[in-house]
Amino acid sequence: MAWGGAAHDLIAELGAGIFALVAGLGLIWAASRDEMYNIQKLVGTSHTLKRAPRSGPGAFGTATFPCASVVMEPDPLSEWKFSVTDLVKIYEPDSPPANDGITLEVGPGEVYGLLGPNGAGKSTLVKQVMGLLKPTSGSIALGEYDLVDDPTAARQLCSYLPQAQMPIDSFKAREAIEVAGLIRGGSRADLRRRTDALLAALEIEEWGDTFGAKLSGGVRRLVGFAMATVCPGPIVFLDEPTNDVDPLRRRLLWEQVRAVAGEGSAVFLVTHNVLEAEKSVDRLAVINEGRLIAQGTPSSLKAEDRGRMRLLVMVTPGAPDPAEPDFVIGSTRVGHNLATVIPEADAEKGIEWAKSLIAAGHAEEYALGATSLEDVYIRLTGEVSGDGHDR
Amino acid sequence: MTVMTAEASVARLPAKRVGPGNWLRSYGAMLRWEVMSSRLFLPLLLVIQILVGAGFVIGFGLLITEVDTATALYLATGGVVQSLILIGLIVTPQVVSQRKMEGSYEYLWSLPTPRGAASLASTTVAALVAIPGVVATLLVAVWRYDVTFAVHPTVVPAILLTVACGSFLGMAAAHGIPNPQVTLLLTQLMIFFVIGFSPVFFPPERLPNWLATLHDYLPFYPMALAVRSSLTNGLVDMTANAWLVLSAWTIVGALITGIVLVRRK
Repeated sequence: MAWGGAAHDLIAELGAGIFALVAGLGLIWAASRDEMYNIQKLVGTSHTLKRAPRSGPGAFGTATFPCASVVMEPDPLSEWKFSVTDLVKIYEPDSPPANDGITLEVGPGEVYGLLGPNGAGKSTLVKQVMGLLKPTSGSIALGEYDLVDDPTAARQLCSYLPQAQMPIDSFKAREAIEVAGLIRGGSRADLRRRTDALLAALEIEEWGDTFGAKLSGGVRRLVGFAMATVCPGPIVFLDEPTNDVDPLRRRLLWEQVRAVAGEGSAVFLVTHNVLEAEKSVDRLAVINEGRLIAQGTPSSLKAEDRGRMRLLVMVTPGAPDPAEPDFVIGSTRVGHNLATVIPEADAEKGIEWAKSLIAAGHAEEYALGATSLEDVYIRLTGEVSGDGHDR
Repeated sequence: MTVMTAEASVARLPAKRVGPGNWLRSYGAMLRWEVMSSRLFLPLLLVIQILVGAGFVIGFGLLITEVDTATALYLATGGVVQSLILIGLIVTPQVVSQRKMEGSYEYLWSLPTPRGAASLASTTVAALVAIPGVVATLLVAVWRYDVTFAVHPTVVPAILLTVACGSFLGMAAAHGIPNPQVTLLLTQLMIFFVIGFSPVFFPPERLPNWLATLHDYLPFYPMALAVRSSLTNGLVDMTANAWLVLSAWTIVGALITGIVLVRRK
């Protein structure tokens, strides 16, 4: 501070210039750090991302995904697979794994259900695919992309409808959908067209200019669905998409899920509502305690239950566990519901048994019906699904 | 029965989007998102910013009673510095914490935009919102205490560095500390420290020696010096050392932010 005025001024001004420059570079560096990561990949410093050589424009033009016409180019690989192999995620060293050796493979156009009770590890799986969590071991690949190694690619390739409502209080429904598409890389004209189409298909056009804060839970959920699918990636995760949605629009929503798959995306449906999943998915996996315990088409999973029926007994609160006759193949008690599976041939005996329980005051009601995926699910997980018994 | 054509079942993967074009495009889209997210309470926020900016100068004047020119300049420029620090160091952590608590953080973090572009968009909105408050502070000081300000070219790096440094440190804390409640408590403590125990509204001579020395190495005093020296004549002397300390904090903040933004648990 004891320097002469002019010299001091000069140093101060020079210093300002130099350090502003340095800071500016620092700012750009930090802001574009994941860009740098991408550039490294492009120039080939990575050993995991191998690109097949370009062989001229693809046979199907440049726009493969619905709103990809601006920024996405065709890739030489024609038919991709999404595969998860031996995926393990351990949050704390001493706690049981949240994902324990999960392996699955899904292709374009498939609607794939991820079923399991709360805390089974479904969200952990989804977040690892999306690049939000790092797997402890195992691999996740989409075509030539290694999604564990390249979370930036993962986020570009996956669309996501979280279970929580979208933060769109101060967005008009239409704007929310369009901006979500813009963020996903869509072009304005495409997005406007697709937004209109989605609003119409879900029959929520009348709320197109309503602010999110004023929408009912169900309409808001549908707007969230539209945000996730207006510019869908090859992988679309829908976490409980039908929550709060009325029965009529649920049907419309399932049609749109099918349409998104029809355009070439693989749609993952995360749910604990087995009855809905049974009607809507091509294949499904049941996850429990971090493990994939069953996988297949709904009918293949039900194969074991052919020739069987489900007898549900609603036990009187406080009554002792009823003794089960010999013909009962299996049973699960959840709350006051005793779900049993019996041979079709023993249906009459089953009804007699249930009636005798009611007569003795041990049970209040019973219901005999066809076995469903619900029974498979109960047998596998020991839990009753979402709103399985509500209807 | 119809036969599905081959085309219908063939799907191709898009190429990964990279480069400055993608970055700018993402920044633009996220800027839209941020403006729309805050627009319902934006008018209220602007009014509050103006009231707080003006209120600090008037309020501190009441506290001190005899406000001479130098004190008025200290108060006014201190108010400006405080607004600039709050943008990054307080507003950013609060926005991020709020998003973590309401559950939207993970959705926003799952979007395909480069994280730096998304964070910068959020800071941009916070910075734009702060401008009316800064202007109000200066105008009220001129009106109430009849002081004059001088604007030197160093005002540009001074403001940029102050905002950038505060923002990087704020982002590092906001994204680096897992528990949003802890982040919020820390930011409260930070406001308290910046206003009460940092030479932002008053000269460092009033602090105990050890604290004044400490402030030579913390970013707040250099921020105050940089802004104050570029808005006034002869009140304080900005030193090369202060530029160095401020730049160093900015770079360290940028480095930590860069790491925290792409980290996965």
